[in-house]
Amino acid sequence: MQTDELKKKYDELKMQLHPDVWKLMEQWSGLLKEYESDFFEFDVRGKKIKQDLVYRSLSGTRISKVYLPKYKDWGDILKWQLQENVPGEFPFTAGVFPLKREGEDPTRMFAGEGSPERTNRRFHYVSVGQPAKRLSTAFDSVTLYGEDPAPRPDIYGKVGNSGVSIATVDDAKKLYSGFDLCDAKTSVSMTINGPAPMLLAFFMNAAIDQQCEKYIIENGLSEAVNKAIESKWDIESLPKYTGEYGKKINPVKGNFDGHLPGGNNGLGLRLLGLSGRDVLPAEVYKKIKAHALATVRGTVQADILKEDQAQNTCIFSTEFALKLMGDVQEYFIKNKVQNFYSVSISGYHIAEAGANPITQLAFTLANGFTYVEYYLSRGMNIDDFAPNLSFFFSNGMDPEYSVIGRVARKIWAKAMKYKYKGNERSQKLKYHIQTSGRSLHAQEIDFNDIRTTLQALYAIYDNCSSLHTNAYDEAITTPTEESVRRAMAIQLIINRELGTAKNENPNQGAFLIEELTDLVEAAVLAEFERLSERGGVLGAMERMYQRNKIQEESLYYETLKHTGEYPIIGVNTFLNKKGSPTILPSEVIRSTTAEKDNQIEAVTLFQQRHKDRAADMLQRLQQVAVSNGNLFEELMETVQHCTLGQITNALYNVGGKYRRNM
Amino acid sequence: MPATIHNKIRIVTAAALFDGHDAAINIMRRILQAKGAEIIHLGHNRSVHEIVECAIEEDANAIAITSYQGGHLEFFKYMKDLLDESGCGHIKIFGGGGGTILPAEIEELQRYGITRIYSPDDGRMMGLEGMIEDVINKADQAPPTIQGGILESAERMPFPLGEVYDIRLIARAITLAEQGENYSHLVHRLKANASKQLKSEIPHSTGGGASDEVAILGITGTGGAGKSSVTDEIVRRFLNSYSDKTIAVISVDPSKKKTGGALLGDRIRMNAISSSRAYMRSLATRQSDFALSKYVQDAIDICKAAGYDFIIVESAGVGQSDASILDYVDVSMYVMTPEYGAPSQLEKINMLDYADVICINKFDKAGALDALHDVRKQYKRNHELWDAKDDELPVVGTIAAQFNDAGINELFERLMETVAKKTGVNFNGEIEHHAHLKDTTDNSTIIPPRRVRYLSEIAETISGYNTWAEEQAAIATKLYQLVGVIKMLDEK
Repeated sequence: MQTDELKKKYDELKMQLHPDVWKLMEQWSGLLKEYESDFFEFDVRGKKIKQDLVYRSLSGTRISKVYLPKYKDWGDILKWQLQENVPGEFPFTAGVFPLKREGEDPTRMFAGEGSPERTNRRFHYVSVGQPAKRLSTAFDSVTLYGEDPAPRPDIYGKVGNSGVSIATVDDAKKLYSGFDLCDAKTSVSMTINGPAPMLLAFFMNAAIDQQCEKYIIENGLSEAVNKAIESKWDIESLPKYTGEYGKKINPVKGNFDGHLPGGNNGLGLRLLGLSGRDVLPAEVYKKIKAHALATVRGTVQADILKEDQAQNTCIFSTEFALKLMGDVQEYFIKNKVQNFYSVSISGYHIAEAGANPITQLAFTLANGFTYVEYYLSRGMNIDDFAPNLSFFFSNGMDPEYSVIGRVARKIWAKAMKYKYKGNERSQKLKYHIQTSGRSLHAQEIDFNDIRTTLQALYAIYDNCSSLHTNAYDEAITTPTEESVRRAMAIQLIINRELGTAKNENPNQGAFLIEELTDLVEAAVLAEFERLSERGGVLGAMERMYQRNKIQEESLYYETLKHTGEYPIIGVNTFLNKKGSPTILPSEVIRSTTAEKDNQIEAVTLFQQRHKDRAADMLQRLQQVAVSNGNLFEELMETVQHCTLGQITNALYNVGGKYRRNM
Repeated sequence: MPATIHNKIRIVTAAALFDGHDAAINIMRRILQAKGAEIIHLGHNRSVHEIVECAIEEDANAIAITSYQGGHLEFFKYMKDLLDESGCGHIKIFGGGGGTILPAEIEELQRYGITRIYSPDDGRMMGLEGMIEDVINKADQAPPTIQGGILESAERMPFPLGEVYDIRLIARAITLAEQGENYSHLVHRLKANASKQLKSEIPHSTGGGASDEVAILGITGTGGAGKSSVTDEIVRRFLNSYSDKTIAVISVDPSKKKTGGALLGDRIRMNAISSSRAYMRSLATRQSDFALSKYVQDAIDICKAAGYDFIIVESAGVGQSDASILDYVDVSMYVMTPEYGAPSQLEKINMLDYADVICINKFDKAGALDALHDVRKQYKRNHELWDAKDDELPVVGTIAAQFNDAGINELFERLMETVAKKTGVNFNGEIEHHAHLKDTTDNSTIIPPRRVRYLSEIAETISGYNTWAEEQAAIATKLYQLVGVIKMLDEK
């Protein structure tokens, strides 16, 4: 009698549960079993993948990659499923994939110094022996602002400093030579924003021409092609590659043997100064191009919103810059560029400018949703572009950094699923972490590696998609090979030596982490409301809201650091006998005069070689802008005949220069 | 030891070319201003040419630069060279770049003639305030007069930086006026130069001191309406439309009553001003509660004497009653935004009685069309133009932030027409007149107006999900408990 009433009540209550929820509850015991197994099978884009689920310690202890809660109460279990869930399942709080990729540490090799040849050498040096070539490119400030190297002193001094000088498609070919850009194991990231569309067009053309070279070799066409080139071009006028010992080598006639850095097989150099379409039948070129675009892997930063908010490398008016971004994305969709991120929505620079982690996360996600809204307003489909978006955060020492990825993933997933009706792939937020440059200090620089280690641990426990660890001497100089090696060792030691890192969901179930996740999520949503009150991200930017908030937070940190209330070991407390003075670098890596002169000469020669076509191509580009066509599609052609500076200045006349704010 | 300033110190602040690191210079300029200096802030990514041109045109005592991107040796030396070549070696250069500038390089630069480069250790030893006081003490020297220093050599030298007129003389004359000193000898020389230019028919020079051929436009309006952006867009169109004409901009910003310092911030918004046919001078009011400086008339007279064809005076942000600009100009324009509150507010704005042209900027803001309607109605009322057609009224909606904005194009035409009508000055023969077709619209709407609440909607979606998850979990708990109780009862 009594039990019947209870059973009735039970049925009534069950009716109030959402059918999907009931399904989740039913699946729980099966899920527990699945994760008790020694192996785990899952699908990645239609491919079945089987991975080990277990690691055995030296003591023989069985460490599983994923642990599930031991809750009994259905409510606790359900809440965990709805707000946490296993990695790879909505809302993806613990990660967007069931397991980490095997045989690939999330390590990016960062380089960018002097000439394209020098940076290329460095890329080969740092990636030697790594199965995956994940290259990250820093450009010099001349390139970052879309200009060409030039003898004028205020330009000259910056050529090839703190980054590589790239002004033409030929520079890009040299920069990535010897790395097959369409290989599934190669991925290239480019830290460029204002002129990102131009640099991206350089890169894409370099990738296409590499595939043309491969086609030429595979089909035994080298001789014929060389002959054709010699009959059509003045071989001496073609750009040269500066080899290891300074010898300048002609791409057609020259012999690269012994002049290339170790690991570089010369791929990408044979068509210097030319395009594949100059030497191959149109149909063949078209096919190679389509294939190259569909397979090339990488990321271009191209995040113009954070530039206006924090980093200041805007060159075009904001709306024109956004239009360019939209054009790139549209081109990606049309040409099925599916392995390349069209933007890296970056909180890193917001944090470096002084924002606290909550502001970093809130502003960055808000910027991301702004791109979503803009692309939707241009008629793009959410599932066509969302997978091309990626994120980039900084990890510092603050407690909130331990959950930055968790909160980002779950906010993104919920909004994508319920607000934008995106599919599962669109719901997955992938992000790169760089440890905080701001937390590196010029005093007691040996301590910096300790900070970086802890920040890297936050990042790895939080299941970041890729990670860059800073070198300890970055606060005072450009890192050396020795310091970069140590930085890389930090990641490797955590990933390969640290026992707890064999498990891939160590954060789940920790009271602190759960509480922080809720608090940070709520704080981010509150910031969304504040931005919304100001007319959304763009409205707030007009009032300099983001800029002012970042500045205030920066000042707060500086004040606490100055008073010592915020302790920094070896900086404002625990000073050594000498007072922990600022360390000066013993040597500073700067670009050489020869490198600068080479770059200036190369750009001048490029312009001379293309002087018959350049004006026409620039005019065509401007016409596309005026008639509101797709500028990136045109840029893919323009860059074959024009230099970065030429293109930037042509676009100023049709898109407007950036107007600075105060 | 607080610095006591003997002369009015004017300092140009900026971050170096291709350098976006402006956090440090922003802090420095604030402290400099608080110590009583007048700051002409250029912001980040400025070339040596732009900075030197600004320093000369503004008759600055010093330039303060931060450089964190390398290339500082070349940058600072080139700046010194360009100043010296321009006969303006008296302008002092200060710099800083944290650890990126090495001690040996600091020495090298200071030996070369850079007044002072501050290192991180200087910062720690002197403190921020200490460094700023050092800058002020070193910059606080009376500028060289006509007898000593640059201006004497100016005679022998070509005009600096390829400028059409001698910007050194113009700048110094305005400074002398501000100091209440006699500057007639400089005007005399400017006029002599101008007539010489007229005779030798140097290209780009047509003014020739014929002051009756000059037109003066006054731009005034509320703070934050975008006056500087509108001014920049007008300057750009003027330079593009009339390739042989010259233009001067005199821009006024308020001095702070408490410190006497001022932030002369209009120049940072200007992209068109670095042309050799353009001159710009920022003036501080040097007294509070005024929209203009006492020396505006002097500045106008000096620019006229130099030979500029068109002079724009831009006032500081004004209140509803201020119309003081009318005393100085031939044609006046009032810049406002659609965000003025209730239509009754318009009745209080004095400039709506007097302005020849009214510009409603930020026309992409909500309520823009209502604003246009209201302002036109008010304009008709004020001018008793009961029968005038709306399209013919000189009230134009603009979006200065938008490239090649149709509204600004129309505004520029209106202004040139009005100038011709009121002053008889035609810069290039007849002015092309286009009939008003339609009001400007935001032609690249990034976020459509109906979607502008997107972040709120996202926040609501997520909060909604979280609440729902709690509710569902609570039900699941009850189910779990029921099952438990049923089981216990069954066991009995």
